[in-house]
Amino acid sequence: MKARFIAGALAALAAAAAAAQQVAPPAAGSAPGTAAAAQPSPNAAAPVGSSAPARPLTPSDEAERRKLEEQIAKELGAPAPGSAAQPPAAGPGTGAALAPQAAPGQGTTGGNPYARLLLLPDISAIGDFALAYDGYDVPQSSPRPDLYGRPNTPTPLFQELELALQSVVDPYARADVFISFHPDGVDVEEAYLTTLSLPAGLQVRAGKFFSPFGRLEQQHPHVWDFVDAPLAATRVVAGDVLSGPGVDVAWLAPLPWFAELHLAGQDTAPATPLDPGASAAGDRLTGIARLVQFFPAGEATTVGVGLSAAVRGEGAGGLRDLGGVDLYARIRPPETRAYLALQGELYGRRFTGMPGGSAWGTYAQAFWRQSPYWGYGVRYDRAPAAGDSAPGTEQRASAVASWFLSEFQRVRLQATWDRRPGGKDALEALLHLEFGIGAHGAHPF
Amino acid sequence: MTSRLALLSAAIAATLPLRAAAAVNVVTTVPGLASLAKSVGGDRIRVESLSRGIQDPHFVDANPILAVKLRNADLLVDVGLDLEIGWLPPLVNQSRNAEIQPNGSRRLTAASAVAVLDVPTGPVDRSLGDLHPGGNPHFLTDPRRAGQVAAAIAAKLTQLDPGGQGYYAQQLAEFQKRLAADEARWQGVLAAVKGRKVFERHRTLVYFFDWSGIVDGGELEPRPGVPPPPAHLAELVERARREGVKAILVENYFDSRSADVVAQHSGAKVVLIPGDVGGEPGARDYESYMDIVVSRIAGALR
Repeated sequence: MKARFIAGALAALAAAAAAAQQVAPPAAGSAPGTAAAAQPSPNAAAPVGSSAPARPLTPSDEAERRKLEEQIAKELGAPAPGSAAQPPAAGPGTGAALAPQAAPGQGTTGGNPYARLLLLPDISAIGDFALAYDGYDVPQSSPRPDLYGRPNTPTPLFQELELALQSVVDPYARADVFISFHPDGVDVEEAYLTTLSLPAGLQVRAGKFFSPFGRLEQQHPHVWDFVDAPLAATRVVAGDVLSGPGVDVAWLAPLPWFAELHLAGQDTAPATPLDPGASAAGDRLTGIARLVQFFPAGEATTVGVGLSAAVRGEGAGGLRDLGGVDLYARIRPPETRAYLALQGELYGRRFTGMPGGSAWGTYAQAFWRQSPYWGYGVRYDRAPAAGDSAPGTEQRASAVASWFLSEFQRVRLQATWDRRPGGKDALEALLHLEFGIGAHGAHPF
Repeated sequence: MTSRLALLSAAIAATLPLRAAAAVNVVTTVPGLASLAKSVGGDRIRVESLSRGIQDPHFVDANPILAVKLRNADLLVDVGLDLEIGWLPPLVNQSRNAEIQPNGSRRLTAASAVAVLDVPTGPVDRSLGDLHPGGNPHFLTDPRRAGQVAAAIAAKLTQLDPGGQGYYAQQLAEFQKRLAADEARWQGVLAAVKGRKVFERHRTLVYFFDWSGIVDGGELEPRPGVPPPPAHLAELVERARREGVKAILVENYFDSRSADVVAQHSGAKVVLIPGDVGGEPGARDYESYMDIVVSRIAGALR
């Protein structure tokens, strides 16, 4: 115990000595920025000519090296280079690129070195709370997973607290874990590994994740422009979001625009009595395919088109076939932070070899982010009516106003007019508060 | 069996992007870095910036089309210090380019080449606003630091393309010579206004002040990323009168309304400057961008 303490103290002393050496002023006559480098770093501002003169590599050298590489690969019994994942070759010294170096009187080169020493993953929490008012009995007449109050009574709601842990695992993969605390308990919402170094445009996710089906369905609720999900997603696709353990292989096609093809196999569990195929309970194998593309359309506009298909075994030979089309367009002149986002999806479902028939639903929305602080949206959605409603179509029209107090907090007011078959109209209103603390990874487009 | 495997691996290898086929494909996050890379890389590189000079570099969209540009990048040069934290990480993940990941062999974070200012020393949280916990990332407005970044880019290019060693060294030497001449000229222009006090919109010009001797009177934003409330602006008007602040510097991607208000009440001038290379038509490269910044600020303070 004592010995260990002494060893630790010695190590600390040695470290302090090394640090002192590093911040020592540069020797006279040396180029600024290079002197303090304890070990040569390519990122230091070293004059190019000062490194040892190396003979330039010629194409024949290159060929020779490749041959040697193949020879070594063969001797090791490994696949030839280029045919499998290789660890990203770290150049000499790049790992410690941010080693502290001092220039006199100008602070520390590379910024705060301690920020990078923390090996903790990015930890963040996002809290969602609402005050709901519904002019009718939502669970009876328009059942949905969440965000409704008692009939005709303003009801405060705790929606969710999402805890996110995100980090690279090693040079080959990163991990993203999202734990959801909600009124019914705790779920591992998603927890998956994403590869970073597969060749040929491939990327694999493995773990538990939202199925690569549609656009909105893959996003966490705090990314949505509207407070709640359109009815179509839960009434047509799955009672809750389509998700579960499995593997998703995504291939980025070598094209000048963004075109990504996903093929995924998962055990999905809609896991709610709201599921359209709720009679067939339990986890079931699901195959999902999705092609998503983004094109630039002029300087300010980006257009995204996605096509999704899924087949879920429902037991006893029954199948649930799902299809979806999603469209997204964002118009943002580059010099501003204002943008207009247009988004719409169409979902279709068919049960074969079992009762349930087919259904479809859709939504279309526009959201205008007027400034860093304000945004406004309108949405129309329709889906098959459910609960004690007469058979037919339920339609909703919604409007939302968002106040972004900062990048980390927003308050939204959403009002929805709901029309069920038989001319039953009612108002739904949500006042929603959301905050985020900690370092939360940036969201994809 | 073996031959079939070889055939398969050959087929896979054929689909891989050919590296170093011709010019080194350099992608930078901001156009200032692209201009510096072009200055030292010349004809041996192709360079493209993910963002444009008219954009606020903190708030670029993580548009997947940008991930396509990163897919075949031989080198990614970013600013670092969390300037691009809101958009670059998902793009790098989507790119499938293993070596441009943070600390990868084809990644150069420019901040690692310069002495960083505004590094917080005490406890940091977001009650301080949306600050950069690693230090101030807006260092390209200091030509000395720009020269250091250019040298780091040249060193990295030499490492990735050893055949161009002599060329890069020569290009760098020429650029640094030009930059030294520019610096002397710019300092000449600024000599008459050294020591004058200015306001800025966001803390973007700390390094410029450090180099130029113009005095930083403070920011319109009470805290980084926080919009100035009227009370704060009123205080700034008083300070501007009291301390003789003659100019309010605003990058042209910001809304200039709060600056206009302070100017109107204090008699100071609002000086719109390009935020980066390409921020206005005349700012074609790093040198012409700095020409504009220097002459406009000096002009307003004279």
